[in-house]
Amino acid sequence: MAYLADREGGLRMDAYPRTASDRSAPVAETVVRLDHVQMRYPGQDTLALDIETLAVREGERVALIGPSGGGKTTLLRLMNGTLSPTSGEIEVLGERLNRSSQPREQRRRTGMIFQGFALVERATVLQNVLSGRLGYAHPWLSLFGRFSDEDRRLAREAIAEVDLLAKMHARVDSLSGGQRQRVAIARVLAQAPDLILADEPVSQLDPTLTLEIFDLLTRACQRRAATLIMAVHQPDLALAHMERIIAVKEARILVDGPPAAIDEGVRARIYDRDAERRPA
Amino acid sequence: MTATPNAARPDPTHAAAVTSEADAKGGLPILPVTLLILGLFAWSWWSLDVQVVKVEGAAKRLAQFFSGLVPPDLTVMETVLRSTVETLQIAYVATVLSALLSLGAGLLAAANLTPAWVHQPVKWVLGVMRGIPLILVALVFVVTIGFGALAGVLAITFHATGMLGKFYAEALENADPRPLEALESVGASWAQRVRFGALAQVAPDLVRDTLFRFELNFRESLVLGLVGAGGVGFYIQLYARAFQYEKVATLTLVVLLMVVLIEQLSTWCRRRLR
Repeated sequence: MAYLADREGGLRMDAYPRTASDRSAPVAETVVRLDHVQMRYPGQDTLALDIETLAVREGERVALIGPSGGGKTTLLRLMNGTLSPTSGEIEVLGERLNRSSQPREQRRRTGMIFQGFALVERATVLQNVLSGRLGYAHPWLSLFGRFSDEDRRLAREAIAEVDLLAKMHARVDSLSGGQRQRVAIARVLAQAPDLILADEPVSQLDPTLTLEIFDLLTRACQRRAATLIMAVHQPDLALAHMERIIAVKEARILVDGPPAAIDEGVRARIYDRDAERRPA
Repeated sequence: MTATPNAARPDPTHAAAVTSEADAKGGLPILPVTLLILGLFAWSWWSLDVQVVKVEGAAKRLAQFFSGLVPPDLTVMETVLRSTVETLQIAYVATVLSALLSLGAGLLAAANLTPAWVHQPVKWVLGVMRGIPLILVALVFVVTIGFGALAGVLAITFHATGMLGKFYAEALENADPRPLEALESVGASWAQRVRFGALAQVAPDLVRDTLFRFELNFRESLVLGLVGAGGVGFYIQLYARAFQYEKVATLTLVVLLMVVLIEQLSTWCRRRLR
């Protein structure tokens, strides 16, 4: 893998390295591409995100790290299409995102695990997981709870994969935090997406559960050859489990490279706000 | 450093200044407000020509009225039961119709589900429907449709939709937005997001509001009988005008029993909703 120095002096992985041996090997498809993307929230003076270029390839496991408020969630929501950039272009799974007319066929290929689970608390595990199939279900029959056998099978398989079959008919508000996160993951797995975006999926869990959920999510993605882009607050966890680390700080990508590129000095630059302001 | 004996003692000038400052920042000045309330009361009292002496005579007439109520005349029980059932039916049909209309209106009036150019006008229409007094709505329907239960049903449906539509919209607006966003991201349509994201969350609130409205509708349909819009109220005013108070007593007892029963049933149902 080749790395390029970026304009900020950090490391960036070369998105398209080409060597003599590479040319014969199949090149993985780019699933996410950002080109000169800027995002400014209404009424805000400063940019929430300012990215020159970013490309993520099929099957990659990418961790977004960096201090709170740096732009990780904004980046995920832009990739998910729930936010539109102020300027620039975003392409996901070969389609240019346009929020005003994003078709369901496009949305359902991208799964999103939200911070705080985003589940319907008084619905059952099965009902929540089945809602992951709404992008495929009949638009009117589904309103009366009619889902196809295929939808139900995939929902049950997803519940089994997160080891919650015994709780399939339990209400979500009766589950523990770890179990709720499993339901949120199962909803995304039932969606059978090609790209999974996860926004701090372990932020509300204790260290043991954090490891379990991290392991579950990465294995599920590997099994499906799905691309995983996950915002995480625990850099050690990201370095141990993910193959690419993108550090986002103050709306910009500070570092983009493999875990090996994140040494103590780089980590200090990512998390130490004062270090940025100190004269060299 | 020397200790200052007055340091811990509150400074009255300072305290007064703080109070004035609090008043200036938005606290109501107590004395002027109290004088205003008392002044308005006195003005209203004397304008209405309230004569306390009249209450003495009223007490005597009230005692005569109540003595006329006993013993209740049970020979009218069949009429009483039939008209009570009719009142219940008016309340029930009006509740179902207004719940259906309110569901549509509530979805359109919910700011988190529709754009401002949709929800604002719908909210205004619901406000107008609530604002017109029920008795006036009933009179309009009695005049245009004629005496009977249909006028009562339509009047209550109209009025209840104004209130229930607002309650439904507020319940929907209080739904957690995160599941709605999650469903949007899986490719769910607007209708699917409403069904599985919003309604799935607030269904117990909507049922609670509807049960409460049914209680109100039953009580209001009693009043509507007075203007000829069907139900038990019609017989109450009929017997009262003929000074047949023992029959009025039977009606009143049955109505009271029904009101208590409906309230208890409604409270029992609402407690079990979660």
